[in-house]
Amino acid sequence: MPERDTIAPSRFSLKLIRRLCKKELAEELEGNLQEYHATLQNSSFKKLKYWYQVLNYLRPSTLKSTNIKFNPMFNFNPVLTFRNLLRHKSTSFINIFGFTLGLVASIFLYFYIFSELSYDSFHKDKDQIYRAVRLSGINGSPYSIGVSSGPYARALKNDFPEDISAVTRAQPDNGLVSFGEKKFFEEKLLFADANFFEFFSFPLSTGNPGDVLKDANSAVLTKSAAQKYFGDQNPLGQIIEVDNRYQFTVTGIMSDFPAKSSLEFDMVFSLQIYERFEWFSDWWNNGLITYVNIPTPEQANRVIGQLPGFMDKYFGEDFEKSGTRVDLTLEPLSDLYFNNETRYDFVRHGDLDSIFILALVAISILFIACFNYVNLSIAQSFMRAKEVGVRKVLGVPRFRLVSQFLGESLMILFFSVLLSVGICHLLNPVFNSSFGLDVVLDWTDSNVLVFFFGLVVTVLITSGIYPAVLLSSFKPISVLKGSKLAAGKNVGLRKGLVILQFSISIFLIVATFLISAQTDFLNSKDLGFDKEAVVVLDLNNSEIRTEMQSFKDRLLANSNVKMVSGMSGEPGGFHDASGFIISGIEGTNKMRTVFADRDYLELFGIEMVAGRNFSNEISSDEENVMIFNEKAVKDMGLNPEDLVGRKATMPGWGIDNSPIIGVVKDFHFKSLKDEIEPLAIISNGRPRRLAIKVNEQDIANTLLFIDDTYKAVAPNFPISYQFLDQNLERLYEDELKQAKVFTAFSGISILLACLGIFGLAAYSAQQRQKELGIRKVLGATPKQIINLISREFIILVLIATAIASPTVWYFIKGWLGNFAYRIDIPDYWYIFVLGGLIAVVIALLTIIVKTYRAAVSDPTQSIRNE
Amino acid sequence: MKGTNLGEFEELLLLIVLILEEDAYVLRIREEINTQVNRSISMGALHTTLARLEKKEFLKSEMAGATQERGGRRKRIYELTAAGKAALNEVKELRANLWDQVPEFSLKFTYA
Repeated sequence: MPERDTIAPSRFSLKLIRRLCKKELAEELEGNLQEYHATLQNSSFKKLKYWYQVLNYLRPSTLKSTNIKFNPMFNFNPVLTFRNLLRHKSTSFINIFGFTLGLVASIFLYFYIFSELSYDSFHKDKDQIYRAVRLSGINGSPYSIGVSSGPYARALKNDFPEDISAVTRAQPDNGLVSFGEKKFFEEKLLFADANFFEFFSFPLSTGNPGDVLKDANSAVLTKSAAQKYFGDQNPLGQIIEVDNRYQFTVTGIMSDFPAKSSLEFDMVFSLQIYERFEWFSDWWNNGLITYVNIPTPEQANRVIGQLPGFMDKYFGEDFEKSGTRVDLTLEPLSDLYFNNETRYDFVRHGDLDSIFILALVAISILFIACFNYVNLSIAQSFMRAKEVGVRKVLGVPRFRLVSQFLGESLMILFFSVLLSVGICHLLNPVFNSSFGLDVVLDWTDSNVLVFFFGLVVTVLITSGIYPAVLLSSFKPISVLKGSKLAAGKNVGLRKGLVILQFSISIFLIVATFLISAQTDFLNSKDLGFDKEAVVVLDLNNSEIRTEMQSFKDRLLANSNVKMVSGMSGEPGGFHDASGFIISGIEGTNKMRTVFADRDYLELFGIEMVAGRNFSNEISSDEENVMIFNEKAVKDMGLNPEDLVGRKATMPGWGIDNSPIIGVVKDFHFKSLKDEIEPLAIISNGRPRRLAIKVNEQDIANTLLFIDDTYKAVAPNFPISYQFLDQNLERLYEDELKQAKVFTAFSGISILLACLGIFGLAAYSAQQRQKELGIRKVLGATPKQIINLISREFIILVLIATAIASPTVWYFIKGWLGNFAYRIDIPDYWYIFVLGGLIAVVIALLTIIVKTYRAAVSDPTQSIRNE
Repeated sequence: MKGTNLGEFEELLLLIVLILEEDAYVLRIREEINTQVNRSISMGALHTTLARLEKKEFLKSEMAGATQERGGRRKRIYELTAAGKAALNEVKELRANLWDQVPEFSLKFTYA
């Protein structure tokens, strides 16, 4: 009868009752419940009311007898475990604390890696999307460029109509966005093609993916951006203004990002407003990202194979003229996030190295904790030998004993899991801010359960199996007779584990020191220019650009402003590459460029090697006069003096036969991770950024003055500036982060390792109580006793140093490979000694604290009773 | 001794079982308590008290009256034993005796 099914109570509830309640009650209770369920047909909260009654039935008077045939001898007995935990408070503490720390580290790591790996994973076509990446090179060292120009997309679609199913373009930008009185300078704007929302799977909460960007003046805002500008008003149809010039109508609202995206934006505007500009259809005007959708990998490979021909078709003439070429390739969206080698890249990247290091560190700590547990359990085993003996005599099979001991480990682990989840929540903000991450602890994800299960099983197996097997292997006769346990064969393992723990700790300590030595080196290295007290100001709007000269003059009127110079990119910032043809030299030389005004070299204190600096007295110096760096001269195979006086041509730039007037000493205009590249400094009066050298005293007031001046000159746009030295430090952000991680975790690991030997030393002292007592009776001093116990551990720590040193050497050598300019490890030999010394001293202190009592105790106490 | 004394709720249950006669099974008892005394009691709680009364031998029960809506399962019908009836009578007499001794005005006038 189908209707009956709808009114029947859930089968599970009846089963529950049948399973848990007394057999003789089952019929009545089930009947009552079913009848009750039927009476509920028309009431609200049916389910809730029903289940209330079901659960209410589970009470002592109905449940099956609690007097189960449960013999504490034969099963896992939680009470016994609790007693054991309480009896050995310090061991329990060390175990739980250790596991907790290890788990906290692993949990954070899990969430961090998970969020890093989930980048861009929410796009429906994530496996079909590729980014067009240009390939270029300077004097033999190739590099890829993330941006391309407007015409690529259409040409790709036209030339490969069978393989490329869709193309879209996105141009990241920044600008002043205003709505009425509300004005904000937005860093994350995006101009995109009409099919952007169809191409990608960014979720729209209002608007149709195919239509939202159709009109040339349409805009899509994220929810939070819409809230920022419109508050509670309906954002649809509102008109916002960009850079006080372009009006856009809001046509759609995007829900917040479902997962992380390498392409970040708060607002998307139609790219069509750019299409009317002539420069937009110039193949060389690279500033946007071109994405293509290719259904299968085979097709993608076919397209990639044909791309050189594609480039020749559109650039053949230019390549011939300039003597260099640029190639094109496709980068899968799934590789994009971790491929942070690409230059001129406006998408967000992650660092696989950082992830790898974090993983390594967290796993090490987890293992140290596991080893502590193994060691302490083995050390403790003799205390439970009697228990095992009695159980065995009473006929407990071995697997039952193993499961009892595993059960105990599981319980300790369970406490630790609970603790660590709580601690993770407490520490999450601290962790995020100190390591510069944004880890979100999302426990609702179904993978989290799998992860926890795996984690617990792994830890249980590593730490629980051996002690359980060992404990259950005791021969009942020998333990009950009271003969000493032959612990000899375990000693080797215990020592091995201590060595491993200390090797890990020493590794982390030495690595910490070496990494911070390298970061110090980077920050203190003479860059060849003066980076102090330089404010870098963005010239990011037309107002300030047209009023440049008057702005400069006003600034210089203040005595605290020493110099002002405009440039295309400050040292450490953007330096485009271009080909140069030098008179008297065959072929084309590729170099980095900086277009700067005549005060540039003086402001940064860059030294001349040959020729002369730009001069404000000579009017022809104002435009297109060049100065090269030493590296450029060397690449050309010339002497600096030989180069001065020659002429340089930049094909495609409209700069022909410009005079070369000087050569400067090499300076690090890029990060120290890269070798110095050849550089051309070209005088030019249309800067993108302004360097302002200020007096180091009274910087605060000078900044206020700059701010006021800016407001007077460009009242409609907010000011944006940075300090040069801070900008340069930011180049090494990843390395600083890694140094921090190492510092924190090496501290934790040495703490855990010491807790481990703290426990071991305690047992050692306890086990040898009688021996020590007799030694004291025979005249041993406390010092000698401490010596005796600590010697064995110190030897282990020394062996650990010997193992860790070459390992860390190898590791750090690999890490330093990221830097073109790096410390020489042999110069820092003392760090290795220091690392070992720290470990020895800390270990020694720990042991002394623990054995002191044994050493000074009254021998009559220890040898009195048998 | 706990065994011989009737608690307030126990007394109530015995009375209701008497009133319901052949229909005295948990759901009806629950309904009756709800309508007559305006108390909402879960079936589980009722079961505990009924089982206790059975243990004190004030109640006896037997399985009977299977119906369609119970999925063909029988009900447990409760009935008072002689001891149960005696206990109820005893309580009633005790109360009546006590009531008789209460001076009339102490109940009528309060200073509250």
